[in-house]
Amino acid sequence: MRLGLVIDLDTCVGCHACAVACKEWNTSGTTGALTDYHPYGAEPSGVWFNRIRHFELGDYPHNKTINFPMSCMHCENAECVTVCPTGASYKRAEDGIVLVDQNKCMGCNYCSWACPYGARELDRASGTMKKCTLCVDRIYDMEIPEEERQPACVLTCPAHARMFGDFDDPESPVSRAVRERGGYELMPELNYQPSNKYLPPRPTRPIPTENLKKRGIRQVKDWIHQAVTR
Amino acid sequence: MHPALAVIFLTLFSGGGFGLMALTALVNDFQIDGGLNPLQTMIALIISMAFVSIGLLSSTAHLANPKNAWRAFTRWRTSWLAREGVFAVMYYPFAFLYLVWVFFTGGTHDAIGLILANLAAIIGLITIFCQGMIYAVLRTMRQWNTPLVPANFYAMGLAIGATWLAAIQQLTTGQPDPALIGIAAALLVATGVLKGIYYFWISRPGGPTIRTATGFNRFSVRILDQGHTFGTFLTEEFGHQLPPAKAKSIKILMYLIAIILPLALLAIALWGQVAALAVLAALLVLTGFGVERWLFFIEAQHVVNLYHGRQQC
Amino acid sequence: MTDQVTVFEDHKNQRIEYSTCYMCACRCGIKVTIENDNVRFIQGNRNHPTNQGVLCAKGSAGIMKQNSPGKLRQPLLRKPGTARGAGEFVPISWEKALDMLTARLQNIRSTNPDKLAFFTGRDQMQALTGLWAQQFGTLNWAAHGGFCSVNMAAGGLYMMPFAFWEFGDPDWDRTKYFMLWGVAEDHASNPIKIALEKLKRRGAKFVAINPARTGYQAIADEWVAIKPGTDGLLALSMVHVLLERELFDWDFLIRYTNAPFLIIDAPGSSDHGLFWRNAAGHPQVWDMCTQNFADGMEAGSNPSLSLLDKHITPAGRTVRTVMSLMIEKYLDASYAPEQVSKITGVPAETIERLALEMAQVAFEETIEIACEWTDWTGRKHDKFIGRPVSMYAMRGVSAHSNGFQSARAIHLLQILLGTIDCPGGFCAKPPYPKPVPPPVKPAQHSAPNQPLSSSPLGYPTGPEDLVIDEQGNPKRIDKAFSWETPLSIQGLLHMVITNAHNYDPYRIDTLILFMANMAWNSSMNTAEIQKMLVAKDSEDGEYRIPFIVVSDAYHSEMVNFADLILPDTTYLERYDTLSMLDRPISETDAVCDSIRHPILKTNRDVRAWQEVLVDLAGRLQFPAFVHENGEKRYQDYKDFIVNYQKEPGIGFLSGWRGKNGDQHLRGEPNPRQWEAYIDHQSFFQHHLPLNIRYFRFVNQAYLDFAVEAAYIPKAEPMFIEIYSEPLQRFRLAGEGVYDGPRPTQPADRERLAKYFDPLPFWYEPLEQQRVSAEEYPFFAVNQRPMMMYHSWDSQNAWLRQIIAQNFLYMNRQRGEHLGIADKSWVWVESHNGKIRVQVKLIEGCQEDTVWTWNAIGKQSGAWALSPDAPEATRGFLMNHLISELLPEKTGERRLTNSDPITGQAAWYDLRVRIYPAAPGEEGTWPTFPTIKPLPDEPRPVDRLRYHTHPPVNLKS
Ligand SMILES: Nc1nc2c(c(=O)[nH]1)N[C@H]1C(S)=C(S)[C@@H](COP(=O)(O)OP(=O)(O)OC[C@H]3O[C@@H](n4cnc5c(=O)[nH]c(N)nc54)[C@H](O)[C@@H]3O)O[C@H]1N2
Ligand SMILES: Nc1nc2c(c(=O)[nH]1)N[C@H]1C(S)=C(S)[C@@H](COP(=O)(O)OP(=O)(O)OC[C@H]3O[C@@H](n4cnc5c(=O)[nH]c(N)nc54)[C@H](O)[C@@H]3O)O[C@H]1N2
Ligand code: SF4
Ligand code: SF4
Ligand code: SF4
Ligand code: SF4
Ligand code: SF4
Ligand SMILES: [Mo]
Repeated sequence: MRLGLVIDLDTCVGCHACAVACKEWNTSGTTGALTDYHPYGAEPSGVWFNRIRHFELGDYPHNKTINFPMSCMHCENAECVTVCPTGASYKRAEDGIVLVDQNKCMGCNYCSWACPYGARELDRASGTMKKCTLCVDRIYDMEIPEEERQPACVLTCPAHARMFGDFDDPESPVSRAVRERGGYELMPELNYQPSNKYLPPRPTRPIPTENLKKRGIRQVKDWIHQAVTR
Repeated sequence: MHPALAVIFLTLFSGGGFGLMALTALVNDFQIDGGLNPLQTMIALIISMAFVSIGLLSSTAHLANPKNAWRAFTRWRTSWLAREGVFAVMYYPFAFLYLVWVFFTGGTHDAIGLILANLAAIIGLITIFCQGMIYAVLRTMRQWNTPLVPANFYAMGLAIGATWLAAIQQLTTGQPDPALIGIAAALLVATGVLKGIYYFWISRPGGPTIRTATGFNRFSVRILDQGHTFGTFLTEEFGHQLPPAKAKSIKILMYLIAIILPLALLAIALWGQVAALAVLAALLVLTGFGVERWLFFIEAQHVVNLYHGRQQC
Repeated sequence: MTDQVTVFEDHKNQRIEYSTCYMCACRCGIKVTIENDNVRFIQGNRNHPTNQGVLCAKGSAGIMKQNSPGKLRQPLLRKPGTARGAGEFVPISWEKALDMLTARLQNIRSTNPDKLAFFTGRDQMQALTGLWAQQFGTLNWAAHGGFCSVNMAAGGLYMMPFAFWEFGDPDWDRTKYFMLWGVAEDHASNPIKIALEKLKRRGAKFVAINPARTGYQAIADEWVAIKPGTDGLLALSMVHVLLERELFDWDFLIRYTNAPFLIIDAPGSSDHGLFWRNAAGHPQVWDMCTQNFADGMEAGSNPSLSLLDKHITPAGRTVRTVMSLMIEKYLDASYAPEQVSKITGVPAETIERLALEMAQVAFEETIEIACEWTDWTGRKHDKFIGRPVSMYAMRGVSAHSNGFQSARAIHLLQILLGTIDCPGGFCAKPPYPKPVPPPVKPAQHSAPNQPLSSSPLGYPTGPEDLVIDEQGNPKRIDKAFSWETPLSIQGLLHMVITNAHNYDPYRIDTLILFMANMAWNSSMNTAEIQKMLVAKDSEDGEYRIPFIVVSDAYHSEMVNFADLILPDTTYLERYDTLSMLDRPISETDAVCDSIRHPILKTNRDVRAWQEVLVDLAGRLQFPAFVHENGEKRYQDYKDFIVNYQKEPGIGFLSGWRGKNGDQHLRGEPNPRQWEAYIDHQSFFQHHLPLNIRYFRFVNQAYLDFAVEAAYIPKAEPMFIEIYSEPLQRFRLAGEGVYDGPRPTQPADRERLAKYFDPLPFWYEPLEQQRVSAEEYPFFAVNQRPMMMYHSWDSQNAWLRQIIAQNFLYMNRQRGEHLGIADKSWVWVESHNGKIRVQVKLIEGCQEDTVWTWNAIGKQSGAWALSPDAPEATRGFLMNHLISELLPEKTGERRLTNSDPITGQAAWYDLRVRIYPAAPGEEGTWPTFPTIKPLPDEPRPVDRLRYHTHPPVNLKS
């Protein structure tokens, strides 16, 4: 199994719901609590696993705004794991999820240097590295109703711009979406082989108006009255 | 990258310490200019071990959860950081035994002495390599992802070692040793050249851009909002940047302190027979390379910055 | 799969409760996991009609709202001897507070009930607050609609049987072309997001008309960067294109609208422009087949649209059809795309193409749903024909002083395309459709110790329905239903403090504000309003607004100006109803209402405001709340909701009625109704069978159903009024020829004559008519950030990490041209004031517009934030620049800066000029004194590590 997420850039409205749901779930999750610093102070900050960035493509007036959620990509070639000196970072053989064992991490930050996608954040209170767990504590929790055994961010996304599934299964919805919609990975040149894929905006369907145009403009007096019974 | 003092000290001092060990072994191996006397050898060893210890200790200051530091040796199969730890620790017994041997027997270059010295030196050199590789393996930072990094680490470690050895030699004898000074000068020049090549290399644009980072290769891409008002771990760790003009002047300063001034001082020391100047040169080299190390970190542009709006890293 | 089963958390130690989110007015269903009396997780309820399992950022961050240090803890009284606004309070017991308030209110009620002004903000229980005000007997009640989006409600409801805003939605599952006008987030936050994805998946086209490109507009297939305030003109230009090419739905216009009705053409006479009615009072049409006049309200005629002709009645009067007026008006060259392009900034080619694209989809890509249904004439149909073009519009259109007519212009476009309440079109949400306009008139008189005869709010249809005295002066403190804004169907909350301060029209005694932050982001001209709140009468030395009561749940800026603070519970701690008598959560295909119930115990001395209202109603002996003998009729709110009946069988909640809880929509009270709701995940949903899903305004089975459910009084068709006779009546009054009340002041006369056009038209927003475009070259508007709700989310530890400072967004090329650098500080000046803010140059901004996120700026010290919080030092409010009054004009009284028809606050009419701040000038300006912490307010913590159980670490 190779579990991961597909993010649909065609429908993501950039609402940050996934980021907050992630925070909410995971602060009481396996690597919780996710510390917040100066929560009511001058420079509020904290540990998050999922962050939404917003970009603009092209120049006005031919511009488009893209909302861009990013969390751990659960890379096949996860350098963050290779470089970790303590073995705290690991990639699970059975499903490809990349995790950090909070009992082993020494907080050296090295793994975060190795991660191109900014997926790892150090928690200064626990001194350990934290990251998206792919909600391992939801997707494998048999006491959660089956249809809810999904990552918190996927469950909550109002624009259904997030999909979760197994990329090893060519018929899974994620594999199909990637195939049909030209799903791509970020910074392929680094060869991390991220599991998570991004779906580009769909091309717009053209609507033909030639026929209507040909109809041309007539004087009102030439319109033909239509008898319609009320 | 955030130029954390702890990491700057780690690579600077431990690199210098291993360099000193290596040169000590070299000089005693080949009895260059008669080799070092026991006192000189012992001073060199003590400074070497002190440097390595300063480096290692300061590196633990960098750890957010040092109680797990002992685990850092476990993943030597894959992690250059673990390897560095393993070799750095392996260096101690040999260096220490050599010190004890010289102390009790004065045997700076008898068989046992040389075996110990060379083992310590080789392990030290391997450690420098590991240190370089810690950075060189990271594809996330183009400025580090090059064999020039371990090469530079070697050059600098050895240059520090050589200048310090020359200084020890002068301090203990009051007389300059042309061979040691020559080695130091040569290593300083080599470092300057290598560093120059490195700077030239990183100054060329290359590496991922905001376009490849987002996958929109056919458009201009600009950040609209990074999604948080204040800093995060990522911006604090990776967000640092140095304006090019400032970088340039600091580099000139660095060349001045680390290479040109020490070379001049060494030359004056040699001709003028002023021992203190060699010591000053050694201190300058260390300081100068400290600045170099600061530049090395702050100039490394992690690709995650592309997601915070930088156009190219 | 992992072999061994890991126990991640102890579910036995957790309980799950279903309720309704309160972080915004969308009212999504939530599933809340509670552990040790703390919230473990809030997620969307998958079964809930509104959000279908999803939840927005605010909803998920409910945990941090529940744990906010800014929560109020106990009733507080302004410390005797201290000044109002100084922030000195002393605790007072509930008993004392309520005794005190009762005495005060009793006195007002028994002398002059209008001396109580009771205004509520984004109140989700207006049915209760309105009933309370009506029972108290004060005319002075309204909720937030007047400053929010009344233009959308009124624009729709005076033209159609339903409207934008919470009254209708596109048929998301079927529409093929969707046009979104001026919406950043809306009240249907989650439903719109869910729907946009569906549209995109289906390959429907999504066009967004908006000066800014973020959020929804980001994912639009086409972004139309319009100049603010010109939407009405753009819509009418598309109307022009459609008419010009004869691309409209003939059948629809003739059958369902008043397009064929005949109008008296007699300029200068008192019935000019009114319908030519028969003896039964019905408008008449010209029958094409009989070639004679016929009753327009009767079935079976074949009305002619009489495109250009005029007819002469037997009595010799000239009459012509609405359609002929429309043709004359909209085919005029001033509506041609080339002309309109200059004003709207939208290329002529785009205007024409969009109109044609919609016509193509409406007429060539028609959809049909096989289903037998009968229309009001008794005619049977075997299918619903859908023209799958739909639209939705909100505050980008409504927050302008031409928003009423602009909303109508957009509706006109929909009507011409025949896309009203049809498959794929724009559909009503029960209890709508309703007659045009809904048959409720505002109460006009108050008297001591007496309830009003009807609700203080309603729908005037002519000058005689205004709430004015014999001299024509306003009777309400907000001057609603006066000549200044006759159709202000939701009041003018934004005028209350100004008018009360000016004793205009009179001095009030007590102002009660419930969940409205009027001292800050909810007022125009914030700094001046704060001064008015503390101003004293020069003669009696009392405050000009003598007593202010604030019900809030948090330490808002408004709380600081209260004399008495009545602390509310949070949404997880109380009973609430989202009722069909109010604005329910219905879907276009289902009747829905819902509740909240206490799922956490309160740990503070706070009471739910609705409990307080029911309690006060008993103490004050409101007839509907006491028995003959004066005993309280209802023990508490819960009891009230179950047993109160508006008419037999109709109460606040429509599910599980009847003694045994087996009746829906109508039925006797069910004593276990709350329990039934709680058992059903806190919501009730009644799906409409297919045959009453569409064309409901003329669908006989639906009309019968709606009467039974008490949504409409009579099962009569509800025709679309393209031409609005009520508007014409006011116009006649303005022209001085109306046969009834007429205004005396020239300003009123002019405004009525000019703006009360019975056909939709466009005019330049009022403030812009008085402010020079050369001097103030930029339009300035706001957007809702998706993860913040007005002022109250800045206290949320998670959400404020996402946004704690707002920028002034400006078009990059324009900024560079003006020498304004990205992230630099600039001065922004309007006719009313200036502010210093930080600029961000972006692409997604129309070049003549600047915008910012709404309500991020805070007063230092409010919301239990530390005084140096960025919200106070770097964030800003646009409100300082906006005035609640129009720029002065000599010889004219000061007029409200609102739509002249509805009184909708014209937030987005603002024009500004922008220039760089001097070097070193940084930080937001103006700044306000730091608000003092309330007694017992916890000091902000430096670190927060919220969790409900110790983590179960997975081992590598
Ligand atoms: N997250 C969140 N949701 C909310 C709220 C909140 O505070 N936060 N508030 C709730 C409330 S009270 C309300 S009233 C609704 C309002 O919901 P919206 O109607 O979405 O209100 P605004 O955010 O004011 O959005 C106005 C939009 O119109 C655009 N605009 C401005 N002027 C014009 C114009 O002249 N023409 C056009 N075409 N566009 C224009 C702006 O750029 C902006 O995108 O949202 C509700 N939902
Ligand atoms: N410049 C500018 N100004 C605007 C707008 C704009 O677009 N631009 N939009 C306008 C619009 S549409 C609106 S609707 C208004 C927003 O109007 P308001 O409704 O005034 O906005 P809020 O800031 O949400 O203030 C609501 C108050 O209710 C309190 N509250 C929250 N929960 C509870 C509760 O459970 N019980 C009680 N009793 N109180 C509670 C909050 O603490 C807060 O003080 O802003 C208006 N102001
Ligand atoms: S995204 Fe980063 S943290 Fe996640 S697996 Fe890839 S490299 Fe590791
Ligand atoms: S921070 Fe923790 S997980 Fe990351 S490399 Fe260091 S020990 Fe490994
Ligand atoms: S999968 Fe879970 S942990 Fe990962 S981003 Fe989504 S919610 Fe967060
Ligand atoms: S919740 Fe969905 S739409 Fe919102 S930011 Fe996340 S991915 Fe985008
Ligand atoms: S849209 Fe968000 S804040 Fe509003 S009710 Fe739904 S979940 Fe709550
Ligand atoms: Mo609103």
